[in-house]
Amino acid sequence: MKGRCLVSSRKDPEPPAKPKAGFSRRGFIRGVGLGSGAVGTGLLEREAVAAPAPANVVGPGPVPITLTINGKPVNVTVEPRVTLLDAMRNYLDLTGAKRVCDRGTCGACTVILAGKTVYSCSVLAIDAQGKNIETIEGLATGNNLHPVSAAFVNHDAQQCGYCTAGFVMAAKGFIDKHPNPTMEDVKHGLGGNLCRCGTYMGIRQAVVEAAKEMKGGKNG
Amino acid sequence: MFDRVEAFYRPGTVREALRLLQNGKNRARVVAGGTDLVVEADRSIRFLIDITHAGLSYIRRRGKACVIGATTTMATLENSPAIRALAGGILARAAATCGSVQIRNMATLGGNLANGSPAADTATPLLALDAEVVLADARGRRKIPLTAFYSGLRKTAPGKALLIEVVIPALPRGGRWSFQKLGRTESDISLVNAAAGLQLDSKGRAKWARIALGAVAPTPIRAVNAEKLLVGRKVDESTLAEVCDQVAREVQPITDVRASAEYRREMCRVLVRRALEECAAGTGCSL
Repeated sequence: MKGRCLVSSRKDPEPPAKPKAGFSRRGFIRGVGLGSGAVGTGLLEREAVAAPAPANVVGPGPVPITLTINGKPVNVTVEPRVTLLDAMRNYLDLTGAKRVCDRGTCGACTVILAGKTVYSCSVLAIDAQGKNIETIEGLATGNNLHPVSAAFVNHDAQQCGYCTAGFVMAAKGFIDKHPNPTMEDVKHGLGGNLCRCGTYMGIRQAVVEAAKEMKGGKNG
Repeated sequence: MFDRVEAFYRPGTVREALRLLQNGKNRARVVAGGTDLVVEADRSIRFLIDITHAGLSYIRRRGKACVIGATTTMATLENSPAIRALAGGILARAAATCGSVQIRNMATLGGNLANGSPAADTATPLLALDAEVVLADARGRRKIPLTAFYSGLRKTAPGKALLIEVVIPALPRGGRWSFQKLGRTESDISLVNAAAGLQLDSKGRAKWARIALGAVAPTPIRAVNAEKLLVGRKVDESTLAEVCDQVAREVQPITDVRASAEYRREMCRVLVRRALEECAAGTGCSL
């Protein structure tokens, strides 16, 4: 992956792509229909002439989309290939979710999409439209930490901290569905997140404590 | 990860998806949950055809069969009361081990099969359940056995066809079932997985048997000769030993970063034994 930078505190260096000048979807489809190979070949070539481009085609080139992040609609223009993670980090300055493995393994990019925990590196931004996206940035209420975040602090459940945002979101998603977990449940339920510093014990204790705290119902 | 992807299509029907696939030459790929495609990062992909809006997410009863739409997620399967009650819940159990929560919330049954991995966790129980798959192409729909769907390592039948749904036919009365998996962790890829189905007659002899294994051959397989060996016999120590020896002869495991062929072969014995013991004891729920 070009431009991956694991330890930089700055944003991923990949800049948002500029729209290609004078390039439209309809033009693309017509061009392809005439046998041009400028962008790619093939798709939709036959019906392009007969019918207008269907509304469910996105791209090529950047397309405007609206994401609902932490309850607020956000407009952004991205190419169809851009993942939700890259859209948040590189276009929206939401750098809480981390790009670490970028292949759906480590969990550092975990967000909650329509109530389900997902790897944001494996979801296309355009596919996240119309669903509420909960990120680490939306967890705290003013100056009050979310119980999960507070429990992570209390239990020193991080070392380098790079996996923490993903773990906190995975933990929140887990507690939402399992309000009464044992340590064993937590171990099982957070199996999709890796901590290379090995702070799992602290994390598991934090999640069990946070679940107890949240049963009060204030932030559940 | 989808570096070269230019356009993204979201067909609302199977027919539309098929037309797109037909026109996409080799540069279009069908995507559902996308969890395998992300890892594959195939740079020849220019167009993605997302079929998750094509009305293929469902679990239905059709006559005596159970029908599952191709884009039904692993999370849906593992939590579905119908699937948990079906055949001792072996499919639900397999779905629940198919990667982490984050993966299972996205990954689909159709994707798990169509990706063609020999280690697909849901393929093994489906083989034991005599499942069939429905394929659609420009000419229409056809139903083929899951065994015929796999044609080689990472090769599946479709070509320009689309996997629409999985059909689990009526199960043998009194069937007992088991699913076993061995991986580095529970949600990691299988080193070996095994599923078994057993129907006993009134004298405790095997009347009907299914033994399926994953990650030990180019495709998920049924150990047909081991099944034959088992039928008509009491499920006791000596039968189990013989059946497991036959299983070990029938598999063709490879050595890779995760395990050696020898280890995998030995684990086939262990998992099939555990599966058949669980079936015989009836500890997995029977129907």
